[in-house]
Amino acid sequence: MSFVWRTLVKDFQRQRRSPAEFALWLGMPLLIGGLMVTLSGGRGGPKPQAHVLIVDRDDTFLSELLVGALSQDAAGGMIRAESVELEDGRRRIADGDASALLIIPAGFSDAVLLEEPCTLELITNPAQRILPGIVEEGLSILLDATFYAHRVLGDELETLAADPIDPNAFTLPDQTVAQFSVRVNQLVERLGAYLSPLAIQLETMTDEEEEKDEPQPGFALLFLPGILYMSLLFMAAGVSDDFWRERDQHTLRRVLVSPQRVSAFLAGKMLYSGMVMLAVSVVALAIGAIYFELSAPTVPLGALWAAFSGVVILAGLIVIQLYATSQRAGNILSSAIVFPLMMIGGSFFPFEAMPGWMVTIGTRTPNGWSLQQLKAILRDQVELADLGMAFAASLGTLLVLAAISVYRLRRGFVQG
Amino acid sequence: MIEVEGLRKQYGDIIAVNNVSLRAEPGKIFGLLGPNGAGKTTTISCISGLVRPDAGRIRVLGHDVVADGRASRARLGVVPQELALYEDLSARENLNYWGAAYGVRGARLRQRIDAVLEITGLGDRAKEPVKRFSGGMKRRLNFGCALVHEPEALLLDEPTVGVDPQSRVKLLDLVREEARKGTCVLYTTHYMEEAETLCDRLAIVDDGKMIAEGTLRELRDRLRERDLLRLSGTFDPARVHQALASLPNVQLVHVDEESLTLEVPDAGTQLPMTLQTLAESGAELRETTWTQPNLETLFIKLTGKELRE
Repeated sequence: MSFVWRTLVKDFQRQRRSPAEFALWLGMPLLIGGLMVTLSGGRGGPKPQAHVLIVDRDDTFLSELLVGALSQDAAGGMIRAESVELEDGRRRIADGDASALLIIPAGFSDAVLLEEPCTLELITNPAQRILPGIVEEGLSILLDATFYAHRVLGDELETLAADPIDPNAFTLPDQTVAQFSVRVNQLVERLGAYLSPLAIQLETMTDEEEEKDEPQPGFALLFLPGILYMSLLFMAAGVSDDFWRERDQHTLRRVLVSPQRVSAFLAGKMLYSGMVMLAVSVVALAIGAIYFELSAPTVPLGALWAAFSGVVILAGLIVIQLYATSQRAGNILSSAIVFPLMMIGGSFFPFEAMPGWMVTIGTRTPNGWSLQQLKAILRDQVELADLGMAFAASLGTLLVLAAISVYRLRRGFVQG
Repeated sequence: MIEVEGLRKQYGDIIAVNNVSLRAEPGKIFGLLGPNGAGKTTTISCISGLVRPDAGRIRVLGHDVVADGRASRARLGVVPQELALYEDLSARENLNYWGAAYGVRGARLRQRIDAVLEITGLGDRAKEPVKRFSGGMKRRLNFGCALVHEPEALLLDEPTVGVDPQSRVKLLDLVREEARKGTCVLYTTHYMEEAETLCDRLAIVDDGKMIAEGTLRELRDRLRERDLLRLSGTFDPARVHQALASLPNVQLVHVDEESLTLEVPDAGTQLPMTLQTLAESGAELRETTWTQPNLETLFIKLTGKELRE
């Protein structure tokens, strides 16, 4: 045990002399967490909302449909639309008064119905980065939807567009709505035989109802655990590379000719990494508890789980490095594994925003599975028995990976 | 005592060490002299337990390095050929870690660190990161790390490679001092002068094989005080053989189309006649080197090549 501790202290001393790497590991959740705080205004603060000024020069049913949809729930409430005159809009976007200015040209409706080219002008605020991007994405989706809606309901839309709309009326004439409804109904019946997934659609709606009963995950719970695992993955990749450094500076050779077991050396390195990961996890989750809606009592257990699962991931990356033919090959292989794991394992995008098939794969990755456990802990929805099983499975994996590493360290890695 | 019997180690088709046997005594310095690639480092790696031998038996102070590896490693101090130090850590932190690796703790560890810093002359730089040290200082610390636990046997694998003359003298003094205290020292080198001045007993190795072993006097006796003549030019080996048969005192060591090595009892008097005989055999001479007997000439005599080739 003494040598395990001495190795831990030695790695801490080395890290202290080269603090840049540690600062990067610790800084990543701090930086991204800080950005989230800034973006969201902290706990109870307003959600980020893009303010879009819209100049509707077409002024038809279809253009109004587009404007309405842009500021509806489909945009997640993240876009607030305001109709303005062209001059006023240009002046205000130049003053930085909004995230974007959308100009719908005259003839937009005709262009859609006749499937002719049409250009919408979107002027974004150069002082903002994220919110104009949201507007651009939202608008792009709506235009695609408009195109496909026309392909399916082209005749019906033409009928609607042909009826002059009374600017003082709040609704369309009853006759128009009735005709439109009948035609849509006929269309659905006609396509019904080919659209058996409609039954599934019904089920999906039921699921959505059930989901609405559950508390919706907050901003921190959506993003922060994923960001934490991103940091842990970077850290694991960095520490696993240290075995090459130990080899190249011949200190690993000196360990092997000492009476100490190489397993003690490995354990010391893993313990050190575990402590650093614990520190990073505590900082990241504390940010969640202080600035967001994370439950503070769940933070200690959550941090412990994150650090432990980080060590298991580290053990896997160590095996990869030890069996690589060179440090460069090890790093390439490690990066080729770590980045897809981040992408699909819920670090870049939360599982809640992924399509179902991707969630299925993502939650089966080591980091994705661990992330799910962490989220359950942070939601305070974890059963101790389940957590115990998860811990036992992880510990078993860790021991197997450590045994493979010890074998490789004794046979071949140092000798080359 | 370090005892090696019939050591053999093979990597694929290459036999790195072939039937090497040696015996290093306490209080003595045993030298392994040979060119790069001769098998010295592989021999040291097998004795230190880093590499498992294919055949043979190695015992360190009575402990078999394979069957009782931890016990034998605990009694050994190993100074590797390359610097094996944490450059971010200070000299004291390095000594602390490597002392702990050999089970030295607490007050004794602190006392041993101070002692090693003193004998290596690094006491005033003990707290500085090693990366700021000169090459010679790093070499001394590399040596010191193997001394913290006061080993009973010491393996030094070419510890003076790339060291400035002043640091080399200091290092060799340290090795002598360890032997004087009763430590059994096994020292590998390809520097003939080092082996001659440092070692009590020597083994000459080449291509994984031990080709001569004994004290310096015993090895010199094998040369029978004969000089070595090395000639370069253009030779016909068959005609050279034939021509030299007429010179009974001249012994042919090696000949190929571009070089010739001869052993003669007194080169001063034999040289003119030898050169004339060679010229008559059709040889075209470009350069002649006359070397008086030493380890290098013995090595050349035994292997037909120079130690530094």
